[in-house]
Amino acid sequence: MSQLFDLVMLLLLIFMALAVSRSKDLVAAAIIFSGYSLVMCLLWQHRGAPDVALTEAAVGAGVTTILVLLAIGRTCRREK
Amino acid sequence: MGAALQNLDYFAFVILFCIGLHTLVARPNLLKKLLGLNIMETAVFAFIVTSGMVDGGAAPIVDGTVTGPFASPLPQALILTGIVVAVSISALALALIIEIYRQCGTIEADELKGVG
Amino acid sequence: MKRLLAAMVVAAAAIPMFAGVAGLPAPGDAGAPAHTRVAARYVEAGVRETGAQNLVTGVLLNYRAYDTFGEVMVIFAALAAVSAVLSRGPPARRPAEARPQVETSPVVAFVIRLTAPFIAIFGVMVILKGHLAPGGGFQGGVILGALLVLLSVVTGRGLERPLLSAPAARWLQAAGPLAFAVVGLFGLACAGTLLGYPAGPGADMLRAAMMLMLELGIGIGGAAIILWLFLQMRGE
Repeated sequence: MSQLFDLVMLLLLIFMALAVSRSKDLVAAAIIFSGYSLVMCLLWQHRGAPDVALTEAAVGAGVTTILVLLAIGRTCRREK
Repeated sequence: MGAALQNLDYFAFVILFCIGLHTLVARPNLLKKLLGLNIMETAVFAFIVTSGMVDGGAAPIVDGTVTGPFASPLPQALILTGIVVAVSISALALALIIEIYRQCGTIEADELKGVG
Repeated sequence: MKRLLAAMVVAAAAIPMFAGVAGLPAPGDAGAPAHTRVAARYVEAGVRETGAQNLVTGVLLNYRAYDTFGEVMVIFAALAAVSAVLSRGPPARRPAEARPQVETSPVVAFVIRLTAPFIAIFGVMVILKGHLAPGGGFQGGVILGALLVLLSVVTGRGLERPLLSAPAARWLQAAGPLAFAVVGLFGLACAGTLLGYPAGPGADMLRAAMMLMLELGIGIGGAAIILWLFLQMRGE
């Protein structure tokens, strides 16, 4: 059961990374990246690393996403 | 092949690293390159934390309630510092991207090559 | 041609990595050298030597305190660099019609104001209980920093009138490196090496006090730095 959870999480991570890479809309890429960070946090909690999970949730899904969205707001939204 | 399947987690993180590397190298948009760099960084962090994992192990908090095997605390401490450094890199890169857009009007690497 | 080059770069990185990773011991294997030779010593002696039940905090603030010192200096330097890059030249003011203004919805404002005290208490608790439970200085600091960012958005206070006044904010941003400097010099006086902890069972309270001060410094410094990164990048 826990291996199934692991497998699903890893597949989800790979798909989300591919989606970030291929998306033309940068806001969509930033939000998918935030979701990727959340799934990474769940993976680490499952691996027995709660400190790292807490930091990744706060930093990746919080601070990095906010800063990327601010930068998108001050530059362009779509990739050419 | 059996030994290879045991390291399925590691293979997945190598694949993630390669996706991030491809995004960093192949996409011309600077913001997309930064997201690729972040994917590479998190893939490396996941790899190192997984190397410290123990099957059925508990979080490394010794308060007397758990006596079983503990996950190794050393990779986790290393990665905490790594996450802080990653966010610092991202913040400075984003500030530079904003400034580049203000000065040159574009953040596509192809167009930036032609700008004085 | 470019796509071929990109594919070659990725392949050149991927093939050695796959080969190297295939030879590692399986993840989760408790008999791997990483667990039997290195980690076992820290798990056994960690609580006794550092006084922290959370072994990760013990490693971060006691065994590898220099690395944490470097970490707080890195994020402080990032803030200094971001301020230096973004404060050159005139503020980027786009014409009003080109920039759609979105009002903060009253639902968002109400929810943030309602939950702000609880988030603040949670953030402080995560900092203070860092050595007993999952948590620690930086985690709580980021939670408090995110709370300050939310409050800045809701109350609409940007760089002109920020939530923390500018002179106070400079001291708070430097709280991380300052805490490490103070505790480090104190450790030099007590134990003879920079950031050295006094050994022996009688110095338990002293060790706990030093760790607490480091955690508070990292937490408050992290919160102020994150708020200021947000304000600098938002611009006007």
